Amino acid sequence: MAILTTREVKGVGFTIPRPDGADKVTGHTRYVADLNPPGLLHAKLLRSPHAHARIVRIDTSLAKALPGVRAVLTAADIPELHPNAKTRAHAIMAIDRVVFAGQPVAAVAADELAIAQEALDLIGVEYELLPVAVDALQSMQPGAPPVADAGTEADTSEALAHSGVAATESQDDSKAVNVAQQTRLSRGDVAAGFAESDVVIEHTYRIPMVHQGYIETHSVLAEWDSAGGLTIWTSTQGSFNTRSEVADVLGLPETRIKVVPMECGGGFGAKIRALCEPIAALLARATRRPVRYVMTRREELAAGMPAPRVVMRVKSGVKRDGTLMAIEAETILDSGAFAGAVLTLNGIFLASLYRWPSFEVRGVEVLTHKPSIAAYRAPTAPHTVFAIDSQMDRLARALGLDPAEYRLRHLIDEGDPMANGQPWQKNGARACLERMIEHPLWTGRAEWAASGGRDGRGLRGTGLAVGGWIPGIQPCSATIKLNPDGTLNVVTGQVDIAGTNVGLAQIAATAYGVDFEQVSIVTADTDSAPLAGLSAGSKVTYTMGAAVMAAARDAREQTFKIAADDLEAAPEDLEIVDGRVVVRGVPERSLSLADIGKKTNAFMSNVPPVLGVGSLGFSQQAPAFAAQLARIEVDPDTGLVVLHDFVAVQDVGKAINPLGIEGQMQGGAVQSLGIALTEELQFDDDGRLMNPSLLDYRKLTAADVPDIETIMVEVPAPAGPFGARGVGEPPIVPAPAAVANAIEDATGVRITELPLTPERVALALLARPSEDGLSA
Amino acid sequence: MPRMILACTVNDEPVEALIQPYQTLLDVLRDTIGLTGTKEGCGTGDCGACTVHLDGQPVCSCLVLAMQARGRAVRTIEGLAEGDALHPLQDAFVRFGAAQCGFCIPGVLMSAAALLAENPSPTEEEIRYGIAGNLCRCTGYTKMVDAISEVAGAAGGKA
Repeated sequence: MAILTTREVKGVGFTIPRPDGADKVTGHTRYVADLNPPGLLHAKLLRSPHAHARIVRIDTSLAKALPGVRAVLTAADIPELHPNAKTRAHAIMAIDRVVFAGQPVAAVAADELAIAQEALDLIGVEYELLPVAVDALQSMQPGAPPVADAGTEADTSEALAHSGVAATESQDDSKAVNVAQQTRLSRGDVAAGFAESDVVIEHTYRIPMVHQGYIETHSVLAEWDSAGGLTIWTSTQGSFNTRSEVADVLGLPETRIKVVPMECGGGFGAKIRALCEPIAALLARATRRPVRYVMTRREELAAGMPAPRVVMRVKSGVKRDGTLMAIEAETILDSGAFAGAVLTLNGIFLASLYRWPSFEVRGVEVLTHKPSIAAYRAPTAPHTVFAIDSQMDRLARALGLDPAEYRLRHLIDEGDPMANGQPWQKNGARACLERMIEHPLWTGRAEWAASGGRDGRGLRGTGLAVGGWIPGIQPCSATIKLNPDGTLNVVTGQVDIAGTNVGLAQIAATAYGVDFEQVSIVTADTDSAPLAGLSAGSKVTYTMGAAVMAAARDAREQTFKIAADDLEAAPEDLEIVDGRVVVRGVPERSLSLADIGKKTNAFMSNVPPVLGVGSLGFSQQAPAFAAQLARIEVDPDTGLVVLHDFVAVQDVGKAINPLGIEGQMQGGAVQSLGIALTEELQFDDDGRLMNPSLLDYRKLTAADVPDIETIMVEVPAPAGPFGARGVGEPPIVPAPAAVANAIEDATGVRITELPLTPERVALALLARPSEDGLSA
Repeated sequence: MPRMILACTVNDEPVEALIQPYQTLLDVLRDTIGLTGTKEGCGTGDCGACTVHLDGQPVCSCLVLAMQARGRAVRTIEGLAEGDALHPLQDAFVRFGAAQCGFCIPGVLMSAAALLAENPSPTEEEIRYGIAGNLCRCTGYTKMVDAISEVAGAAGGKA
């Protein structure tokens, strides 16, 4: 999409700090929990301590009698509740059976938080304990304790939010107990492929549930007006989606609800779906007061919407010369108590990130008595790439081939078929890997390995991995207006969770022809903004960027039309230079943008205001890849893995704002390293979370990680604005595989279960056969 | 419970507040005094988002009873800037793009400011340990460390 700009403006491609930075560093940015309207009530939820139990009775009389308590609600007070809730949001409260520990059974609104907390202690709930299914392998067996009520259907809207890659096949007829969905992708003769293979490697990879870990817990404030309109201030990744979901849950027309998206203190996928909005709205309705609900960290960890536990058995066969023959895989994805996982991309990456001529990959989504899952930044891609990249690394080592060269030889290119039959679109997977293997940390890996293991020092190794995501698409629209002072305003309904607004302003600046400082951008509420999609699926810049670009071009044309009359020139002979519309080649014939803006706003003027509109749908996705390298040292006694260096290479298509992209790459890499090294929601046999605090759920700190070096490559996306690709999700994908590969490089031991804790690594080292062939 | 009067200074201004004895310093700052820049991320002292200075020392204000601040000097993120000019750390955080979602940032800045007050020329390792009590989920810490290093270098000669 060629854009006519008459000179280089300060826009696309410039490193520009976020305009909201000053508010963020001074504490002025307002999040939901900072709102304190007159009459505010505070909400608390009573949550089930049991993972599976029948509710025999609930007695709220003592709680209701506590001074300062304004409302106590249970399922009996909520006519909108239905059995067989189709999403977690619809299951506002357990009706007669709780299906995970932490599920709400009662809600309180009170004058003070401490009163609400005290009221919870006064609510008596009698439970009849039921058998639990905590482990997915157990839960999918016949006769396992049921999680969903009969008739609960798999909800696939989450998958659609992230990717338009359609599921190809499902086998709904063969549902086992607690199996919510099954997928199967296959091509060629897998049995023959294995029969003809010289080397066959099979591993089972296990990744536990992890939490997205945003520092701002789920927060919402709800208030009704006298006419029955509901306003919701919330921390969300998609205000229109929140509006739709709440409308559906509460049975309201969407126009009766206004969602005001507040600054989102981190979402990473977990704030796509509604969670606390319905109960806050119901408490506000019951009390006729504004009600604020902020989840505690303990509630977040125990009853948020984490990423699924994933178990993948992967078997792959190759010829002695390395030729890929066949891959067969089985994925079991534990979604907790409600369905809604992305399974298709797991199959696509397992079967067709490399050119397997024959494959059969099956996926099963299983329900268990645990908190239900949501997206987490490239949902299940870190898991999937942990498996397939570990597998490729193992195969290369087994064949005595260079692991990076081996990947390059078999990696897909544009036009290769994906496992679902669609062709891979143009992408930079190969470019990322090629760039990475030139890096001194890769070319110098032998020296690094040789430097370890002596003089009491640790075992040293280097690992790399390549992976990515197929970002989503969603229709969206934007407007841009020319102000009387010659500046521009962009209005969208797109929540800025990643610094995307500055990039959108840069796109508007370049497309219109002014410097970035002349453009301001606002995220409006659902009453005021044109429709926008989720801020998820690495698609804000790709989709809304294109809409803003279209709006800016529209505004530019309108501007030229107005100027053309005044300057007595054809619009196509005009250009914008330094805030003035100029007749090309005749610099003395010009009109300032402010003059034009004033004409469109003057009393008795007949000149229509400039209002550019961009409203687009999309059909082409742009795969986005990253390669990451970890240089590590393993303490052979304690099993501690120390990261010495970490490099992230990513295909960004076109770097709209390099500063923001670096931040995405670095932050994603450290989240990825958290999955690799420390993070795990640990449940006991009764389905209770054993580590519901940030002391015991261990996220990486500044002291745990080195500088994250970032390198961008630019393989333009054909349909992306200025060639830009999505950048949010790929950085979280490769690190677990890269670190596991580095551990094998350092120690010779392959570990297939995350996280790679000191205990796990030390035990694996102990089990390693010693040089005399005996186990240590 | 009978309320108590808390008298202290907050950002160099004398403050008197009628509070519950069980209230934390975090809750009083946010709800009673109206300084919402200080954030709650966990309420158990694990994430550092609520970090403020108490007599110059960084503390998790969620772990401090408000009455413990009686007669003492509290400084919050709202009191870090000097007049209209941003504190050098704040300015560096903006320029380096160290703030993404921003929720952890007030706490990180208060920890970093306390670090530099005690050790004007920290090494990178000392900077990393200095903010290790502050969890950030967006940035991967690199830009924060770079920003703090620049300020430390300008102030104390450490590059």
